[in-house]
Amino acid sequence: MVRVLNFFCVALMGLSILGLYHVSEKTRVTQVELARVERQIAQERTNLSVLETEWQHVASPERIQRLAVARLGMADNASVQLASFDMLPRRGAGEDSAPLNNAPIRNASVQVPGHAQPAAPEAAQAATPVAHTSISDLITDSGM
Amino acid sequence: MNEGPTVFQRRIVIGAGLCVLAFALVGMRLVHVTLLQPLDGSRPALAIAARADLTDRNGELLARDLPVKDLYARPQVFWDKDQAARDLARATGAGEGRLLKGFHNAKSPYVLVARQITPDVEARVMALGLPGLEFEQGAKRFYPDGRNTAQVLGVTDPDGAGVSGLELGLQDALRRAPGGQVATSLDMRVQFIVADELAKARAKFRANAAGAIVMDVKSGEVLALVSLPDFDPNLRKILEGDSTRNIMAQDVYELGSIFKIFTFAMALEDKTVRPDEVLPTPPGYKIGRFTIREAHHMPSAMAAKDILAQSSNVGTLQIALRSGGARQREFLSSLGLLSPLKTNLPETSRPLFPTRQWATAETATVSYGHGISVSPLTFTAALATVVNGGRRIVPTFARQADGSDRRGEQVVSEATSLKMRDLLRYVVTNGTGRNADVVGYDVGGKTGTAEVPGPNGRYIRNALRSSFAAVFPAHNPRYVVMVLMDQPKATKDTFGFATAGYTAAPQTGRIIQRIAPLLGVPNTAPPTRLAGGNS
Repeated sequence: MVRVLNFFCVALMGLSILGLYHVSEKTRVTQVELARVERQIAQERTNLSVLETEWQHVASPERIQRLAVARLGMADNASVQLASFDMLPRRGAGEDSAPLNNAPIRNASVQVPGHAQPAAPEAAQAATPVAHTSISDLITDSGM
Repeated sequence: MNEGPTVFQRRIVIGAGLCVLAFALVGMRLVHVTLLQPLDGSRPALAIAARADLTDRNGELLARDLPVKDLYARPQVFWDKDQAARDLARATGAGEGRLLKGFHNAKSPYVLVARQITPDVEARVMALGLPGLEFEQGAKRFYPDGRNTAQVLGVTDPDGAGVSGLELGLQDALRRAPGGQVATSLDMRVQFIVADELAKARAKFRANAAGAIVMDVKSGEVLALVSLPDFDPNLRKILEGDSTRNIMAQDVYELGSIFKIFTFAMALEDKTVRPDEVLPTPPGYKIGRFTIREAHHMPSAMAAKDILAQSSNVGTLQIALRSGGARQREFLSSLGLLSPLKTNLPETSRPLFPTRQWATAETATVSYGHGISVSPLTFTAALATVVNGGRRIVPTFARQADGSDRRGEQVVSEATSLKMRDLLRYVVTNGTGRNADVVGYDVGGKTGTAEVPGPNGRYIRNALRSSFAAVFPAHNPRYVVMVLMDQPKATKDTFGFATAGYTAAPQTGRIIQRIAPLLGVPNTAPPTRLAGGNS
């Protein structure tokens, strides 16, 4: 009985040692993999950060306006209010109370006088092309 | 026979017990490590970022640390130090002479070749195939909107410490959360429009400098602050014609007639004048040995509201003299015009005003904005206080919650504030501010044209400083706009005038016309029936 117990204990110990070694090794490999993934995540975050900054630069209002003028021949026209929420009919109100029925309507294509008209297509073609700039061009060396 | 366990058996049991205990401990530890120990789920901050991002009020990026590298060399391992210096200078833009001197200096084992080099420069350096080069990871602050935000955001030094603007003013918050975000009150859309309009106006009128501020009257949030000339914060170099001086916060000016707003606010508060009261406005008003004259021809008598609308110096000084110098000083002080303004912006200035005596002559000149110099930002805050219901407001560049009300103590009464809104609207509909009117946006405001003092203290003839202070919508104010132009030149379009009504006022109108729809200010213009429309 004692021998069986001893054998059982030693076997259990052996199996446990093997199991523990297996778990330990697996943990080590996983830790290495985790560190690699974390480095990759950090690198991707850095790339993302650079891309976000570059996007912010290329989507800046100043650049959009420059491109709109140079490529699309658009002009800086003043905005005009077309309608307001007050002009919309209330839900469930009778036809007589619908303000849109008799209210004058403003034209969407109205131009504010005294401002520049859109540039002619020829002018747009002749306009200087706007070069794409990358973040590398912008992070200039500060020199010494 | 019931014999107890032998010594041998007891030892085995004890040994087995110890083994079980040891395994139990290992098992517990395994359970703890694998199941109970929480995983670190927090996003690690960007390793390169030493400071938080700066964003505008809508979350648009204004400034961020980007990865760059500092390049060092160990010259003792170079075969040919002269050739290495030449190659590195060509690849990085560093000074060849400085590199040569460093490489031949036996005392320095490491020589800094270049700081904050970009990935393409790094690739060029690597292509040289030189031994003994070391790259140190660092960060460089990048400003996607460049010049548009340069004066207000400021810059950092190569070590990442703020040296000017909000980079310095919000330094603690920016350093507390590297990789995080700090929101400013600025609105990039508004900032761009103001910068765009101001640049056009500066070019058109060939002004030495120009600046503008847009501020929320209740929260005190500054939505835009532009000061021209500016600089490129990404270059870290001041080019010819550039300036790092924020004229709207750092400089003090005699702002001229826009100061009449405060004289009228004081008079209405003291009930020393009624808007319809008629006062004599002779061409000159003698005080001691001085005679104060009008800037242009005025009728012999005018209603008080027309004195403001037509900007009569003589009429305004008479109104101020009714309250007296002591009261004037107290009133201007209560609006914060006699002390330096404290905001998140480190750039500030001390107002200049009569300190020895504030007698009749000083009261008269201060009433129309001469003999007192304040920064445009200080003026804008005081104007917001007058029109926001009369409660003191301090400008802030930090994002506040939507609809927040930071108004403080009551400085002028609600009734006076209401009357001032009417008067400012009257200046735009019937006075010198006509060119600032924008249909449907109910603009109120005041022009100000002051002569520029020269180095000897005397005013320079034909050198003017034009400004316009606007509030919109005038009858339910949400924003104040202040535009300043330093020494604008007259053009054919302005009929030879360089005064504020022809220079600063129309530019203010253009700014309001473009920003009001973005800011959700309702247009109150009556709908017009279109010819041929299907109404």
